[in-house]
Amino acid sequence: MAEVLGRRSSRGLALCLGALFLLAACGGGNGGGGGGGASSTDVTVWTAWGSAELKAFKDVLAPFEATSGVKVHITTNRDSTNQIANGISAGTDLPDIAPGPTDPVQVKDWISKGALKPIETALGDQFSAYIANTYPALTTSSGDNPYIGLVGGKHYEMMVKTQVKGLIWYNKKVFTGQAPKTFDDLLAINPSQYGAQKLFCAGFESGAASGWPASDQIDNIIMRQSGETVYTNWIQGKVKFTSAEIKLGYQTFLKEVSAANVYGGANTALSTNFGKAGDPLFKTPAGCLFLEQATFIPSFFTQDFPSLNLKAGTDFDFFAHPSMGNSQYDGNVNGFYDNFAMYNNTPAARKLMQYMATKDAQQIWVNDGGTLGAIKSLNYTDPVFKNAAAVAGGAKNLLVTAGDFMPSDMQKAFWQSLLNVTNNPGSLNSELAHLDQVQAAAYKTS
Amino acid sequence: MVGGISVDQIVTALVAVIAVPLVLFGYIVVGEQIIERLPERIQLWIRPYFWALPAIGFAGLFMVYPLLRTVVISFRNGADTDWVGLANYQYFFTFPDTLTSLRNSILWLVFYTFFAVFLGLVVAILLDRVRYETLAKIAIFLPVPISAVAASIIWKFMFDYQPPGQPQTGTLNAVIGLAHHDPVAWLVNSTTNNGALIFVGVWTAVGFCMVILSASLKAISTEVLEAARIDGANEFQIVRLVVTPLLWPTITVVGTTMIINALKTFDLVYVMTNGAYNTDVIATQMFSQLQHNHNSRAAAVGVVLFIAIVPLLIVNIRRFQQQEEQR
Repeated sequence: MAEVLGRRSSRGLALCLGALFLLAACGGGNGGGGGGGASSTDVTVWTAWGSAELKAFKDVLAPFEATSGVKVHITTNRDSTNQIANGISAGTDLPDIAPGPTDPVQVKDWISKGALKPIETALGDQFSAYIANTYPALTTSSGDNPYIGLVGGKHYEMMVKTQVKGLIWYNKKVFTGQAPKTFDDLLAINPSQYGAQKLFCAGFESGAASGWPASDQIDNIIMRQSGETVYTNWIQGKVKFTSAEIKLGYQTFLKEVSAANVYGGANTALSTNFGKAGDPLFKTPAGCLFLEQATFIPSFFTQDFPSLNLKAGTDFDFFAHPSMGNSQYDGNVNGFYDNFAMYNNTPAARKLMQYMATKDAQQIWVNDGGTLGAIKSLNYTDPVFKNAAAVAGGAKNLLVTAGDFMPSDMQKAFWQSLLNVTNNPGSLNSELAHLDQVQAAAYKTS
Repeated sequence: MVGGISVDQIVTALVAVIAVPLVLFGYIVVGEQIIERLPERIQLWIRPYFWALPAIGFAGLFMVYPLLRTVVISFRNGADTDWVGLANYQYFFTFPDTLTSLRNSILWLVFYTFFAVFLGLVVAILLDRVRYETLAKIAIFLPVPISAVAASIIWKFMFDYQPPGQPQTGTLNAVIGLAHHDPVAWLVNSTTNNGALIFVGVWTAVGFCMVILSASLKAISTEVLEAARIDGANEFQIVRLVVTPLLWPTITVVGTTMIINALKTFDLVYVMTNGAYNTDVIATQMFSQLQHNHNSRAAAVGVVLFIAIVPLLIVNIRRFQQQEEQR
């Protein structure tokens, strides 16, 4: 072997190797591709958005890039929280702007490590305008609220978008009655009066995340039934699943998915994808009167029935989640929001944060459709979003979706428990006891 | 940035792809030059070690070290800061969720292995006797190269459920609808879901078993079968008393491979149910522990899985050694 290669070729090889090591050393030196210095011309942004949402974000950025001379480098990264956590512990470059973490423990941890920069710093003298313009539930709280990035009196998450959950959608051609005031009124509606088979439609299938639509339904019950304190403590693992409040929530949820009330029975609710859940609303005769879902659902209606040419506001509409009979908690609304957090305090990052907090920027966003902005006074041409904005604006507390803020094993068990009790309501007590077991293990930081 | 990947990353990848083989090549070229200058006796002694060292190094670094590290982590706490003894194993063998996954893995082990090997054998023997053998084999082998994720999605459609009275879009429910039977929610119903998943697993594996067993079947000399026929054995007796014993070594190898597959089952379950309605298996359980940041619990699950597979590996290696000796 060695003889075949000869001495000359091996010398050439050594040269090649040397050159490669040099290249490798150069490549490793400035790796990461993150901020790298306080740039006033470049800003890196990680978002979880793809396709239509990403396009909308680029539309929002276009005027900013044109006027400010700042180039925005967007990376769609659906694992950004983990990667940033790794980056913080390894001390490597972080993106300039990315969503803040959802886990309250992580929020506090990152703030204590100085990874998150205050929004007060990012916005400067625009900060007071941001607070005045944005839905109060997203920015203000009595005391700290890590769920909205409010820690130690400072804000670390800037709200840019929001969606409202727990809306009751209906086909305007079928349901012609008045929106019920209370949950009992809702249950008392007789679907056959409107020619529909059942009161509710439901679809809890969502691949590996199956169960989340059911969790939205129970969240909306619990927050209005037992109030924001119980709800938040429950998310934080301080209220057991076997407690009277959570058990009552499950029992109320079971009324929504009982064989008498849900279209096709439990098997249909469990086998139907959430995107197709509303289809029976538009069939003749209608399979159901109502579907509970968030603001994003109209695109699924129009996509599933292209021939009907469904129009928001004329063919379908929604009413807000009815009261659970406890008027002091009626102002609790379930929403989710997209936030920007600043990880590198650079001039370019500050400029982008300041721009994203303006009404002009968010107006472009809502013009592209499919979402609410975080600013109260935007103009919505879509009547559905106009109404949804009114729901968000009227909220006393915009409360997060419980499962998303639980430890992930708790979330999975919680979601699956809803599937299991829908499948077999008789298993409620054993499911709740099991959830207590998971809860005891999940919140323990071992 | 190029579509989210920085130029740096591309350079690093290229360096890794080109530099690693080059360094190895350089090691051999330079090392050989040194060895050539040594006395003959030392050359003979050192050369095998010199050539084997990179392979041993890689195996050590990428296989033995992670294995040992996994075992160590399984005795540590989640943050890897303290020893917790057998707590992670105690969790695995007492928590209801992990016990369900253990039960399901045993179901997979028994039924998946049995049906894949048994049907593979039956199909191989039957097809050996028909003229359209190749065509039929292709049809049965087709599911094998399909990725498990694609197979899962195909079968999700097959198992699809619509409310009674609606047109059934799922093939299986459409078929049982013809017999005026109510549709079955195959993947939701706890009495059918594990069976449905194992069935899909068997569907993807029968072709593999058939091909291996069929090759082995072809190697049986026709004279042996002729002799059996002349002695008055009927075809059932030939299969039972002549063919099967001759195929036994192959059946063992295929069977152990299937057992390992059964224990490793992940993607089918993950895509079709993600463990909902009590369908979790050991591997999906390990993954969810890892995903939920319980690294040490995941490590314990991994160690249990590894210990379960070791005896099978030993059987397989023994079998290979026997075959080597026979040659």
